[in-house]
Amino acid sequence: MGFMQQTAHHDSALAFVPFFVPPISSITRLGPTSCLWRMASDAVTRFDFLVIGGGSGGLAGARRAAELGATCAVIENNRLGGTCGGNVFHVFWKVMWNTSVHAEYLHDHADYGFEGAQAHFSWQLIKNKRDAYVSHLNQIYRNNLDKARIQTIQGNARFTDDPEPTVEVSGKKYTAPHILIATGGHPSTVSDEDVPGASLGITSDGFFELESCPRHSVLVGAGYIAVEMAGILSSLGSKTSLIIRHDGVLRNFDALISSNCTKELENSGIDLWRNTQVKSVQKTEQGLNITLGTKDVKDKDAKEKTDRIQGVDCLLWAIGREPNTAGLNLSQMGVKLDPKGCIVVDEFQNTTRQGIYALGDVCGKALLTPVAIAAGRKLAHRLFEGKAESKLDYTNIPTVVFTHPPIGTIGLTEDEAIRSWGKTSVKAYTTSFTPMYYTITSRKTKCVMKLVCVGKEEKVVGLHMQGPGCDEMLQGFAVAIKMGATKADFDNTIAIHPTSSEELVTMR
Amino acid sequence: MAAFRRGCARWQQVRFLGARAPGRTFAGTHHYDLVVIGGGSGGLACSREAAQLGQKVAVLDHVQPSARGTAWGLGGTCVNVGCIPKKLMHQAALLGVAMDDAGKFGWSIPGPVSHDWSTLAQAVQNYVKSLNWGHRVQLQDRKVKYFNTRGSLLDRHTVRGLDAKGTEMTLTARNIVIATGGRPRYPTHVPGAREFGITSDDLFWLKESPGKTLVVGASYVGLECAGLLAGIGLDASVMVRSVALRGFDQQMAQLVTGHMEARGTRFHWGCVPTSVEKLPSGLLQVKWTEVRSDLERVEREDTFSSVLWAIGRVPETTGLNLPQVGVQLHPDTGKIVVATDERTTVSNVYAIGDVAEGRPELTPTAVKAGKLLARRLAGQSNQLMDYHSVPTTVFTPLEYGCVGLSEESAESRYGKDNIEVYHAFYKPLEFTIAERDASHCYVKVVCDRAGVQRVLGLHFTGPSAGEVIQGFAVSVRCGLTYAQLRDTVGIHPTCAEELTKIHITKRSGLDATVTGC
Repeated sequence: MGFMQQTAHHDSALAFVPFFVPPISSITRLGPTSCLWRMASDAVTRFDFLVIGGGSGGLAGARRAAELGATCAVIENNRLGGTCGGNVFHVFWKVMWNTSVHAEYLHDHADYGFEGAQAHFSWQLIKNKRDAYVSHLNQIYRNNLDKARIQTIQGNARFTDDPEPTVEVSGKKYTAPHILIATGGHPSTVSDEDVPGASLGITSDGFFELESCPRHSVLVGAGYIAVEMAGILSSLGSKTSLIIRHDGVLRNFDALISSNCTKELENSGIDLWRNTQVKSVQKTEQGLNITLGTKDVKDKDAKEKTDRIQGVDCLLWAIGREPNTAGLNLSQMGVKLDPKGCIVVDEFQNTTRQGIYALGDVCGKALLTPVAIAAGRKLAHRLFEGKAESKLDYTNIPTVVFTHPPIGTIGLTEDEAIRSWGKTSVKAYTTSFTPMYYTITSRKTKCVMKLVCVGKEEKVVGLHMQGPGCDEMLQGFAVAIKMGATKADFDNTIAIHPTSSEELVTMR
Repeated sequence: MAAFRRGCARWQQVRFLGARAPGRTFAGTHHYDLVVIGGGSGGLACSREAAQLGQKVAVLDHVQPSARGTAWGLGGTCVNVGCIPKKLMHQAALLGVAMDDAGKFGWSIPGPVSHDWSTLAQAVQNYVKSLNWGHRVQLQDRKVKYFNTRGSLLDRHTVRGLDAKGTEMTLTARNIVIATGGRPRYPTHVPGAREFGITSDDLFWLKESPGKTLVVGASYVGLECAGLLAGIGLDASVMVRSVALRGFDQQMAQLVTGHMEARGTRFHWGCVPTSVEKLPSGLLQVKWTEVRSDLERVEREDTFSSVLWAIGRVPETTGLNLPQVGVQLHPDTGKIVVATDERTTVSNVYAIGDVAEGRPELTPTAVKAGKLLARRLAGQSNQLMDYHSVPTTVFTPLEYGCVGLSEESAESRYGKDNIEVYHAFYKPLEFTIAERDASHCYVKVVCDRAGVQRVLGLHFTGPSAGEVIQGFAVSVRCGLTYAQLRDTVGIHPTCAEELTKIHITKRSGLDATVTGC
C-alpha cells in the first residue's frame, strides 16, 4: 500500500513537467502522428540501459550504470529488492537462523552459570519484526534508486515483436541498446499428477508467510534450502522430518561436508528419511497424512517400503528453483534457454541475442545474492565504461549455508580437484575438533575443516568447513584463496588465539 | 645479507653438532640437548617440537603463587590465567547479551535470570585442569622430561632446579631456552594495592563472585576483564590514566570503550588511584585523583568488592640469575634482549615469548617462535620467525580484531598524504532485529596510497572479530591490495563481507554509514 503511493510520488517527482512529457532522463522518439494523446501510447521510451527485474543483481547493475552516466530504468512486478532468490530472501533467512541460534544458546545458559533462563518462543513477534525490517530494506532500495535517478516501471515486462529489442509494460513500450534480464527464480513445485496431494504443501516462499510455528513439519529436499529450513524449524520447536532421495544431504558439496551435515541434522533431533520419496499426501482432520516410499537406490533387489507420517501441519517442498522466464516472450527473441529453462549466457553475461544480457538466478548459476550484485556491476562497467574485459570470475566464490552449525565453502571439492588434477597432485588436510565454547556445555557440536591443495607448491584450491562461526570465518580466507595462497602462506600466518579459525593456519 | 648470515649460522651449527655428541655428561646429573625453563605456550611448543625432531629435552615449570595465593598447573598464562579462561568467561558474557536480545527475537524468558559465578568458575577451572593434564600427557608422549621445579642458570650450560620441598638438582644442556613469560604488575606507590587487590592471575580462580569491581588499567587485559564481568551482570568500572588499548589503533580503541560505556561499564578517565583500604564491612575503599587539567585535580573515592590491577605485566626474570651468566636484560623493560633468531647475549641461551624484549605478548607468536627455534636448534631448518603482520583480537564485549598497522603508525611511517584509509560503519543483521546500538561496529582498511594500494592494516569491530580476521591475515601475508579485496565476492549476510564492500575513503569526507545491502 504505502509502497504503491511511494511509486506514484516517485514518478511525479521525476517527471515534474506535464504528464505527457517523458522523464527528463530519457529521449522519446515520436510516433508517426504528432497528436499528443496518441503520442503517449505509441511512443517508445528510450534508455541507455533497461533492467527487467528489481532484484539485487539488476539493481546493482542499474545503479552502477547510472553512476557511469547511463540513463536507466528498472522494470519490476513485485517488491523492490526481489522477493524471490534476491537479497531479501537471504535476509529473511539469516533473521530466522539467528532466531534459532538463540534457541541453541538458551540450552547452554545453565552450563555457563545462568539460572532461570527457560524460554518460550513467539513466532508472531519475530515475523512482524522481520517483515518490518524487510520493508525498511525495500524503502532503502527505493531511496537508492531515487538518488541515482533511475526510473522504476511497475508491471510485467514482455518483449514485443519489434525488430529492435523492445519491452512492453502495461501497454507502454520501452527500449534500450542494452537490456538486462535479472528476473530471478522461484521455488520448484510438484504437480498433483506426479504426487497426488502435492499441492497441499507449500514452498520456501510460503514458509515466510507462516503465521505460527508448525507443530510438525515435513520437508522434502536435500539441497541447502531444505537443510536450512529444517534446522530453523527444528530449533524453534517444530517436530521436523526431512525426506531425502539419496543417502545424504548437500551431495554436490565436499564429501566431508555432506556426511557431517547429514550427521549434524540427525544429532539435532531431525527425523531423517534417507532414500525416500513422497508418494502421496492426504488431508485429514488431524492434519496431512504423508505416504512415503523408501528404497535404497544402490540396492537393485531392495523392495520399496511404505511408511506414513500423520498429523503434519506443514509440508514444505524444497526441491530446487526455477528461472522466472515465463511471459517474457523470450522464444521470439532468439534468446537461447537451456533444457531447464534457464537463460544461456557466456562469461560476460551475454545471451545469444546481441544487446540482451542476463544474470543471477534466471541463468541458474551460482544462486547467490553477492554473485548477482558483482556480475551486475561488472556488466555495467563493461557496457558503460568501455572496460571490454570486465566480467565476474565465477571460480572461487565463497558460499555460506546457514545450517546448524553453519557451513562455509569455496573452490573445488576434493573430488573435483582429483578429477581435474589427478589423485597424486591433490593433498587434502582435514581436522575435526570441539570448539572451545562447547568444552563446558552439555550440548556438543563439532567443527570440521578441509583444505584442498594441489601441486608441489600446494596451492589452496578449496576450503570446506562446518562448525560454529564458519559463516564469519570464510570471507578472509576467500580473499586469500582468490589471491592464489598456498598452504605455506596459511602456515606462515600467525594464529589468533583462541579461535576456531586458527585451526586453518595450523593444519598438519 | 640476512640470508647469507642465516646460512652462515646454520653452517656453524652443523659443524658444532658434528664436533660433539649431543649432550654433555656430568656424573650424577641429567644431560640434555635442550632444557626449556618455563612450561607456558612457547616453552611447551618448543620442547615438544624439539623432542619430535629427536632431541633430548627437559622442561622446568614452577608456578610462584600470586600475591593472593592463587597457583595453577602446567601450561602457563594462556591456559591457566589468560586466553582460555578469559574466552570462556567472555562467552558467558556474550550469552548474557544474547539473553537480552532473545526477547527481540521472539523468545520470552519468564522470571528473572541470575548468574551464578561459582557454576561458571567451576566449569572453567575443570576445563583448565583437563588442559593441564593434557599438557602433561603430551610431554610424556613426546618423551620430554618434565620437572615441577623452579629453574635458574648456573652457567651457560647448567640449570639449577629447586622444587617446592627445597630439593635441588642440576641439569646440563647444550642449549637453553628461557620462556618464563610475565606476571601482572602491581603498583608500587598505592598503599593497600598488593594487600587487597587482585590481578588477572586470580580472577578466574575466585570461588566467589568478585562483586562490584574496579579494574585499574585499560590495557586489553583490563578491558576484557571488565567486559566479561559486566556481561554476567556485575557492576564493573575501569580506571584509565590516559588512553585505552595503547599501541592499538586509537579510533578502534575508542569504539571498543564507547561500546562498553554504552552497555553500562563505567569509565573513570584521567584518574590515578592513590590508596586502597579495607573497611570493617569487608568492602574496599578506593581513593583516586581525577586530573581534569594541569591546575584542576579532584580527589574522589568509592567502595568496591574487588579491585583488579591490569596496569601491565612484568617479565618473569627474577631468580633466573641471568645477568650473572651474561644474559643481558633491557634496562627499561627488564626483558631479555634477543636477536632475530631469539638468541640472547649468550650464544647457546635463547628466549621466546613474553619474556623476550620487543616480542608481542601473544600466545601464537610464542608458539610459532618456539617451534621454529626448535627446528633450527635441531638443524632441520633455518627459517626465522617473522613478527610482521601479526593478527590479534581483543575479546571485549564488542570484539576488535586487527592485522597490520594502526592508522597512526601507517601515518607516521608513510605520511598522512601517502596513505588511503577506507572505512565503513555497518550494522550487523543480528543487531538490527535485536534493536541494538550498532554505532560502534566499524571496519577500516589502511592502504598505501601509491601504486596498487597495498593493504597496510585492517581493523574490524563487531561480532566474531577473531573468526573474521584470521583469513584476512592470510591474505595480508600474501600481499593483499585494495583491488583484490574489492574483487572478492562477499558472503551475504555476514559481518565479514563489509570488508570486501569497503569503498568510502576518509579523505573524501563522505558519510561512511552502510545503507542497504
